[in-house]
Amino acid sequence: MHEARFDDVIHAPLRLRICGLLRPVDRLDFAVLRRTLDVSDATLSKHVKTLIVAGYVDSDKAASAGRDDARRVMWLSLSRAGRFAFDAHVRALQEIAGAGGS
Amino acid sequence: MESNCQGPSRDQAIHTLNELTTDRDRLADSIRVPWALVAGFGGVAAWWVGATASTSPGQNYESPTTGGLAVAVVFVVAYLVQRETGIRFRRMGSRAGLAVVGIVLSCLALFSASLGLVASGLQWAVALTSVLAFASTTWLAGVAYRSAVENLRSA
Repeated sequence: MHEARFDDVIHAPLRLRICGLLRPVDRLDFAVLRRTLDVSDATLSKHVKTLIVAGYVDSDKAASAGRDDARRVMWLSLSRAGRFAFDAHVRALQEIAGAGGS
Repeated sequence: MESNCQGPSRDQAIHTLNELTTDRDRLADSIRVPWALVAGFGGVAAWWVGATASTSPGQNYESPTTGGLAVAVVFVVAYLVQRETGIRFRRMGSRAGLAVVGIVLSCLALFSASLGLVASGLQWAVALTSVLAFASTTWLAGVAYRSAVENLRSA
């Protein structure tokens, strides 16, 4: 069981949602993440970069022959540190959510 | 257990947790089974079972050499499915595991049946077992994929 602990990097709403979507998968395409969160490329890029710098998210670019404009697919995944920090953050939220319920 | 809970109120925490669940539901809802590629798994199964038509069951039986190639093509199709959907699952779920076992068992059974048909001189009937292999594998692969998608909601 993870220790409950708030993480300032993950606490930002969009970053928490990014981690929440990456947590149950092995990896996710940047475009799928953007569509699911319904945000712009620039907004998502900014927050993903913050998570990458913090060491919570790993990115991997792959060539995409299926795309006419030859863009590259950007795969995103939570790192081990990212999974630990996210789980601890969620546990802290669960403690707060459950605190007034009993 | 240490907790540094100076952040959100109880209502905000509940709202945030609900939002995480909603996001996962939205992601799961947006994923469609890529049937054209999933049918590729069925095609590989049909090809493998159909290869028995060119064998000679009996004392001089030599197993078809398509087995290794079929496994390689399965990996290629799996990679293409990931590319198409933009998602690689961490866990597929127990239903997916059962579906994969079902694929293996049905293919082995159809392969054996095909060898029996060829030994009886009914090479033409291998077409039927190949079609069965295609249909069962495609369906079960779809079941496995849907299981993985549903697994996202409960992860």
